[in-house]
Amino acid sequence: MISSLPNIKLFKAIITLKERVNHKGKNTRNTLEITMANIENIFVLIKQVPDQSAKAGINPDGTIDRAKAKRMLNPFDRFALQAALHTKKTYGGKVTAISMGPPAATEILLEALENGVDSTCLLSDKRLAASDTLATAYALHKVVQSLGKFDLIFCGLQTTDGDTAQVGPQIAERLGLPQTTYCEDFKIENGKVIARRVVEGGHETVKMEMPALITVANSYHPLEYKSLRGARMVQNLVRNKTELDKYIKTVTLDDVGADPAKCGLKGSPTIVARTDKVSELGGSCIIKQGLPVEQMVSEVIAGANILEFVR
Amino acid sequence: MSSKDKIQYDVLIVGGGSGSFALAHHLVDLAAKNGTKFSMAILEKGKEFGSHIVSGAVSNLRVIEKLFPDYKTNDFPLEGICNESFFSILGNKKKWDVPNALLPKGLIKNGCAILTLSHVVYWMYNKLKEKAANNPNITIDFFPGFSAHTVIFEGDTVVGVQATEGNSGLDVDNAIYGKVTCFGDKGFISRDVIEHFKLRDNPQIWSIGVKEIWQLAPDKDYFGKVWHTLGFPLFDGSFGGSFIYGMKDNKLTIGMVISLDSENPNINPQQKLQDLKKHPWVQEMIKDGKLLRYGGAVLPEGGFYSLPKKFSVAGAILLGDALGVLDIERLSGIDKSMESGYQAAEVIHECIIANDFSESKLSSYKEKLMGTFVGKELKEGRYFRMAWQENPRLLKSYLPKIISSIDKTNPLFGFLNIGLTENPIKAIFDAIRLKYLMDGNEVGPVKYKLDYKHIVPNFKPSAEIKTNGYAKETVYSREDAVFYAKTKYHEGNKHIDEFSSDTCIKCIKTYDALDKQTPCVSDCTAEVHRIDILDNKRMHGMSLENCIQCRTCEIVCPEINLRVRPTAEGSGPDFMGL
Repeated sequence: MISSLPNIKLFKAIITLKERVNHKGKNTRNTLEITMANIENIFVLIKQVPDQSAKAGINPDGTIDRAKAKRMLNPFDRFALQAALHTKKTYGGKVTAISMGPPAATEILLEALENGVDSTCLLSDKRLAASDTLATAYALHKVVQSLGKFDLIFCGLQTTDGDTAQVGPQIAERLGLPQTTYCEDFKIENGKVIARRVVEGGHETVKMEMPALITVANSYHPLEYKSLRGARMVQNLVRNKTELDKYIKTVTLDDVGADPAKCGLKGSPTIVARTDKVSELGGSCIIKQGLPVEQMVSEVIAGANILEFVR
Repeated sequence: MSSKDKIQYDVLIVGGGSGSFALAHHLVDLAAKNGTKFSMAILEKGKEFGSHIVSGAVSNLRVIEKLFPDYKTNDFPLEGICNESFFSILGNKKKWDVPNALLPKGLIKNGCAILTLSHVVYWMYNKLKEKAANNPNITIDFFPGFSAHTVIFEGDTVVGVQATEGNSGLDVDNAIYGKVTCFGDKGFISRDVIEHFKLRDNPQIWSIGVKEIWQLAPDKDYFGKVWHTLGFPLFDGSFGGSFIYGMKDNKLTIGMVISLDSENPNINPQQKLQDLKKHPWVQEMIKDGKLLRYGGAVLPEGGFYSLPKKFSVAGAILLGDALGVLDIERLSGIDKSMESGYQAAEVIHECIIANDFSESKLSSYKEKLMGTFVGKELKEGRYFRMAWQENPRLLKSYLPKIISSIDKTNPLFGFLNIGLTENPIKAIFDAIRLKYLMDGNEVGPVKYKLDYKHIVPNFKPSAEIKTNGYAKETVYSREDAVFYAKTKYHEGNKHIDEFSSDTCIKCIKTYDALDKQTPCVSDCTAEVHRIDILDNKRMHGMSLENCIQCRTCEIVCPEINLRVRPTAEGSGPDFMGL
C-alpha cells in the first residue's frame, strides 16, 4: 500500500527513564503497586476484521468482500481490551469500547460487553467507506471528543487487515495527547502512567501525564475468558432491543460533528495503485503416516532435495 | 455488571447433548401449550453445541418423531436410512454375515436412521433458539464454552454448578443456580452427584468408542448399509466390535467399541481401529478414500444393573449417559437418552407449575422412565453384558475357532470344531445359556461381578492378527489421528489431575518389569500420556493439548491416580461432523 501521509511525529511521550535491558529480563514482570488513582473513564478502540482462518469473502481481484467475509475481533485489540479491563479492575473507572464500521460491527461490541466493558459506541456511516488511516483517525478522534472526558485510551497495536499501526498514534496527535506505543506493561502512580515499551533489543520505561493514549503490544497479558455473568447479560440484551440501545450507542458523522469531506474516500490521500494476488502454491504439503519414523524421515529427506537449498 | 445477584434460573441443564436438548424441547412445548413461564440455561463445555459430541450413530427416530412430527421437512440432518443391516463375524481374511434369523432382534437395524449426532445436536440447538425466540414466556440462555466444574450443594440439595476451574472459592460471576439442575454429561460432573449421594451400587462399565469418517472413492457407494462386526481384530477376549455405516455423499463411518473392563492392559483403541482397517474387506471399501475426521468417546455399558438407585435427588435430575441408559444389546443409546430427557421434561414441567422442586416431586421421574421402552428394553437386556463376561470361553476359545473356520472353510465347521474339541455338552449348555441370558430370561445366578476390582490383567501376549497386504496410506498413527480430531486448547490448560507422581513412578516400574506399556499410555486415544525420563527416573507425563477428552485414562488407570476434569474456555477437540 502506497501511503502519502503527512509527517506525523509519532512519539511524544515524555521519556524520563530510559533503560535498555536484555530480552532475558522480560520474564520478570514487575508486580504492579496498586495506588488508587482517580480514573473515571477508560476508552478502548476495537475493530472488526475479516477472519483470517476463513477463506470466504475474498473477491476475485484480491480485495476483501467485507459483507461476505467471516468476521472477528481484531486479535491485537484483545490485548487492548484486557489492558482496559485490568485498569478498571485495579484503579476503578468505567470502560467504553469504541468501534467504527458497518452495523455488523455490533458483534464485536457485544463480545466486549461479554468481557466486561460498561458501554460501547459504534460509529457507522456510509460516507466512511474506503477510509485510510488518516480519515479513520480523524473520524475516531471526533467520536472520542463527543464522548466527553476520559483518562486513558487503549488501542490495539495494529489490525490484521491493514497492518499499519498508524491509527492509534494519529488519534493521539489529533487529540494532542501524550502516547505510548508498543506498551507491554503499565502502572499508574500519582496520576501518571508509568509504562514499559517494547523496543528493539529490550524495553524502555516511560512516564506520561494523563489523559493519555496507549497502544498495547501483543506481549501484554492475553484477554481473560468472558464470565458467565457477561454472557448472560449479552443474551438478555440481544432479546431486548431497548435495553440493547442503552449499551450500544450508534452514532453517525453528523452526531459527532465530523466533516464528511475529511472522511471516507474523499478524505483519504492513500491511493491503492494495484493489488496483486499471490497465487496459491497448493499441493506442497505431504502428510507421511503409518510408517516407521526412520522410513518417513528418509523419505522426506530424499524428496526434499536439501542440497539444492543449501547451495 | 454492578449488581452481583445470583445467576439464577428455574431449570439449569449441564451438558448440551441429545438428552438435554430433548428435555429442553419438550419442556418448551409443554410450557407453550400450558402458558407456563420459566427460565432455562444450558451449559456446554465445547465451544459450540455439538463440538464435543461423537457417536456412531444408528438410531431409532422414535423420540425425534415425538418431539418434531415435521422433522422430515425441517432440514433434519439425516445421513441415510438403513436399508441393509448385517451382523458379521470377521476372520483374518474373510467375513461371515450371521443370518438374521440367528440374531437378537435389536441387532437388526433396518429402518433406523444413520445420523451424525453432532449435526443433530446443533440442529436441535437452532430449533430451540427459534422456539424460544417466539415465546415471550420462556427465557433460554445458551452458554457454549462454559463447563461445569463443581457442583454446588446446599446441605443435601443440589443448587447449581460453578463454571470456573480451581478451588479458589465461590466466584459469583461464574456460579450458576437452578431450581433443578439436569445433568446430561458423560460423567465428568455427574459422578460428583452420584458419589455424593452414593447412588450407584454397581459401578458403571465403560467402553471406549473410536470413530473415523472416510470420504470414499467416487465409484464406491455403501449408502444405507450398516454392519456390526465381532472378531477381527479383537482376539484378546475383549468385549467389543466394530461398526461400519454407509452414509450419503460416498461417506463411510468406521468405528470400534472396546470395553474397558478388558483383561488386556494394552488395548490401544485407536490402533485397534487401524488394525480393523487392515482387513481385506474394509481395505476394499476405503481404497483410494480419504480420512476426514477422527474422534472418540466413552460409553456406559453397564445397563440395567449399573443404573443409579435414584434417577433424581433433591434439586437434580440425571439424564442419558449420566444415568447410563445405553442398551448394549440393541446398541442403542441416543433414543433412550432422548426419552430420558422427554420424561424428565414432563416431571420438571409439573414441578414448575407447582413451584416445588423437592426430591419427592422429582422422584416420579424414575418410575416414568422405567415405564417406557427404556425401562423395558434395559430390563430385557440386563444379562446381555454378563452373559458374555461370566463365561470367558465364549470370546476366548469359541470365537477364535469360528474365526479360523471362517478363514479356512465355513463357520459351520467352526461350530462343529467347538463341539469336537471342547466338551460338547458344555458347549451346547453354554450356547443355550447365552441365548437365554441374551433374551433376558432367568436361568440361575449370573456369576460375573460388575466391578473393576475383579479384573486381573492378562499380560500374556494376545493372539496376533494376521494381515496380508494393506495400503499403508489408509492406516494412521495415533499422532496423526490427533490432527483429524482438530484439538485446540487455551493457554494454561490443565484438565487432567495426577494425584501422586510417586504412584505413577511405581506403576511404570511394574509395567516396565513386565515389558508392557502402562494402560494410560497404551489405551489413550490421542497421544496424551507418555513416559518422561527425568533424573534417570521414568515418570508419567502428559501432552494435554492432544486430548480429545474421552476419559479413558481415568477409567483404565490401575492405581486410580488420574482424574479428567472438563476443560474451560471451550477448549478441546472439534467433533462437528462426527
